[in-house]
Amino acid sequence: MSSTAAQRPNGLALFILPSALLFALFFFLPIGLMATMSVLTGNPVVMPKVAFTTRHYARMIDDPFYLEVIWTTIRIGLVTTLVALAIGYPLAHWMARIKSRTGHALLLMAVLAPMLTGIVVRTFAWMTLLSDKGVVNQTLMSLGLIAQPLKLMYTETGIVVGLVHIYVPFMVLTLTGVIGRIDERLEQAAENLGASPLRAFIEVTLPLSLPGILAGSLLVFALAISAYVTPILLGGFQIMTLPILIYQQISANFNVGFAAAIGIVLLVISLLLVIAYNRALGLVSGQRELQ
Amino acid sequence: MSASIEIAGVSKIYDGGVRAVDAVAMDIRQGEFFSLLGPSGCGKTTTLRMIAGFETPSAGAIRVDGADITHVPAHKRDMGMVFQNYALFPHRTVAENVAFGLRMRGLDKATIAAKVKAALAMVELSGLEDRRPAQLSGGQQQRVALARAIVIAPRVLLCDEPLGALDKKLRQQMQFELKQLQKKLGLTLVFVTHDQEEALAMSDRIAVMNGGRVEQVGTPTEIYNQPTTRFVADFIGDTNIFRGERTTTGTGASALDVGKGLILALPPTDAQGTGVLSVALRPEKIRLSPRGDAAIAAGSSAHGIVENTNFLGGAVLYRIELASGHRVLVQQPNAGTSRLFVPGNGVTLDWTPADLVALKD
Repeated sequence: MSSTAAQRPNGLALFILPSALLFALFFFLPIGLMATMSVLTGNPVVMPKVAFTTRHYARMIDDPFYLEVIWTTIRIGLVTTLVALAIGYPLAHWMARIKSRTGHALLLMAVLAPMLTGIVVRTFAWMTLLSDKGVVNQTLMSLGLIAQPLKLMYTETGIVVGLVHIYVPFMVLTLTGVIGRIDERLEQAAENLGASPLRAFIEVTLPLSLPGILAGSLLVFALAISAYVTPILLGGFQIMTLPILIYQQISANFNVGFAAAIGIVLLVISLLLVIAYNRALGLVSGQRELQ
Repeated sequence: MSASIEIAGVSKIYDGGVRAVDAVAMDIRQGEFFSLLGPSGCGKTTTLRMIAGFETPSAGAIRVDGADITHVPAHKRDMGMVFQNYALFPHRTVAENVAFGLRMRGLDKATIAAKVKAALAMVELSGLEDRRPAQLSGGQQQRVALARAIVIAPRVLLCDEPLGALDKKLRQQMQFELKQLQKKLGLTLVFVTHDQEEALAMSDRIAVMNGGRVEQVGTPTEIYNQPTTRFVADFIGDTNIFRGERTTTGTGASALDVGKGLILALPPTDAQGTGVLSVALRPEKIRLSPRGDAAIAAGSSAHGIVENTNFLGGAVLYRIELASGHRVLVQQPNAGTSRLFVPGNGVTLDWTPADLVALKD
């Protein structure tokens, strides 16, 4: 170790400063503040005398309403993830394996184009489709398939439909990268050895794409449980999720401490999932890092 | 049981009109080591992939033991294949890789275990059953791929440049082992390679391909000694190709005027006809001696000056400029008795007219 080699990292460290500042200001500081607020009796800026308390967390655990909200949020997240996976996987497989460049470009555009429109706009579009007098119900009724309008809006189903539409691209893009890296000749080798195309997929492609399935699912789940606009507009406050609860606590009840505690709960759910993801990945691909 | 393959006028035209394979016809006999040899892009791999069922011919038919399999899906063809990059399943162990084809055939566990053990013993990989492909060397991966393909007792074994990624020593050893295994099992083996030495060393017969077409089919000695086309003569080994107008010498014998005063006597078999002709003469068929004062035989010898030498170890390759201005390659064995020439030496070349091979352009 020469002295110049030891000094060089110090010079380079300056370049990390902007991103370190960004992280400190916009990541650690807000989360630290939120964590602090969640264990205080009030806002120290406006109330001079605040004390440490665990009452916000106790309130959530004691009241079945809040446990129900947590469960609803997780349920919406899970269903959204599963549906996004079911829709996204075939699409991603198609995109990863398509030979024609034009075809690939068209598929990519189809996946990305909705992301160019704001979430609010897309959610309003779903409202015109799903409401009692919306396109779906009007069409089904005029065809005589149903007598009464189906309850699509202000239900969990409606929220899931909207969320899937918004988050499917994240699933597709994550999966396409992983499936695209699986050598097609592996499937051909399986077929050559007597596996039907479906069997070759199940035996070879599916297990090898598991890291992508996990990563895409984690991403969509984390986004779905923290979604706010879509659950409000398509749920119309009939379906309560954690982000809506946080909004209400801050804007209507001014209970910043309780809102912060809910935020921490949301964060912990996501963190637990990331840890579980890493564990699962280690299990399914224990030897992969050797490659 | 090993099968014969008949490729009848098969073409493959891709979207955009590219003719990857153009009216290829060949018969591969049962138990034969058959090589498809050619430069990259000649259609050899596409032909192999059509035999395997990964590509559908645009025209023509492929028959195995007389039965048309042109439209039979790959997984019902009962063929073994060794891929260029081996295509081993990275998420499965060596034993699981080898067992895959047996499992797809619905064999019971005990039979599978016994067959896997025997196959791994055959390729000398016993003891590595529980390794993953990534933990093996290139040569070991190659053997696993081979074991996986032959354990299902395929009717045909297809190999797509299987030895290309190995270093020279290992490649030679695997060439030898593969050939032994093929003979021992009586396998019909179709072997794709761009390495002419490999094809010559291993094959019973070779099909030389170029631009999607078959240039020549023959045994290694036929391909080397009697190339029928300019491409084959040029692609296989070093060669001297002369092109000229057919004439008649003063004595009435047929000869080839290749310009600048050089006239080559033609062997009687190629004497018929008139017009332009190309002939090939292998460098090792030319004898080299120090230039003397004696007159030389017209038509089968020439004077020249050594331009440069290329010492190959067992032989020396000379590049010689003839008095006529033509440049030719001459290869002499590095036998203790023969003299080694250096650039600038005057030499006399002579050859036997019968060694000239007439070529189709």
